[in-house]
Amino acid sequence: MKFVFDIHRVSMYRASMIRKELVAASAEPLILSLLAKGESYGYAIIQEIKERSGGKLQWTDGMLYPVLHRMERRGLLKSRWGESESGRKRKYYSIKKDGKAAMAKHYEQWSLVNAVLSGLNKEQYV
Amino acid sequence: MFDLEESIAQWRRQMLVAGIKTKSLDELESHLREEVEKQIKAGQKPKQAFEIAAEEIGRPAMLKAEFAKVAETWPVWKKLRKLLGFNEIPSPALIDFATVGRRTLELAAVEARTFRHDFIGTEHLLLGLLKSESTIVSKVMRSLGVEEKTVRIEIAKFVPGGPAHEGSLNTPYTPRAKNALRLAGKEARALGQPQINPEHILLGLIREGDGVAWRVLKNLKIHIENVREEILRETGRAGL
Repeated sequence: MKFVFDIHRVSMYRASMIRKELVAASAEPLILSLLAKGESYGYAIIQEIKERSGGKLQWTDGMLYPVLHRMERRGLLKSRWGESESGRKRKYYSIKKDGKAAMAKHYEQWSLVNAVLSGLNKEQYV
Repeated sequence: MFDLEESIAQWRRQMLVAGIKTKSLDELESHLREEVEKQIKAGQKPKQAFEIAAEEIGRPAMLKAEFAKVAETWPVWKKLRKLLGFNEIPSPALIDFATVGRRTLELAAVEARTFRHDFIGTEHLLLGLLKSESTIVSKVMRSLGVEEKTVRIEIAKFVPGGPAHEGSLNTPYTPRAKNALRLAGKEARALGQPQINPEHILLGLIREGDGVAWRVLKNLKIHIENVREEILRETGRAGL
């Protein structure tokens, strides 16, 4: 059903080196793996992903938050308001037990895809 | 002189009209400030730093669409809303509007552009109504002494024009305008009419009860109940 108010949906991700479908699919496992190392907040999460991918994985900054909120609602994460060193309000996220389980599942699936892909890729040069 | 605090306040207002909730907005603002700080440290002037940070965060309408998906994916909340009857008024589709009603929506979008606003609010819908060729609405307005000119002056008191910017094809409705249109659909159904006409939109605006349009009409000392009565009398007279 088409609604009058349907604001046209824009992808969460800006055109980037990595295809947006892939960026979208990898957001959750990346966030989970990053938070498994310890509590963090939106801005730092984005900076770290940018850095670790050499800027090839780019999110439109604001779009991270709906993803975080969705994951929190699904019980994968929890959040708390805290303060930065300079006293600014900051929302910190940390991983929950279900989040860790989801992370393991993601990892298993990505590893499988990666194994199949590299196996096929090798055969091309045999 | 560029005022960072004022710019952030303005940015917040834009996000609010787009329908981003205060809680999410606090988090987005915290992010915006971190980025501004980083840009300034990197040697940008405050104005440029703010512009870059706002751009990085994303346009309000786009963010709203993403935040809306969060609500969609919470099945328990969805069920609860249904149980409590929050979803009883569905958003009307374009096809639910009669041709004149659709014309009102188009005129409202034109009004929003004239004000250089990147949202369609109840005030734009009201102006759209005053411009549309609906005999019922014109008659009601005339009998109550409402003129487009005075309404326009009143609106300007509430909402200043926006900064010059390129118009968007998909101007979003504010939450209040959306609600007014939902109520318009309800009014049409209650009156046993197959489609939404301008007079139903006017009733919707009144029933919404708290938009700029409603406040303007109130300031012009127009009794909301009278508008309703007049409309009902006129629709009855038109034999619809």
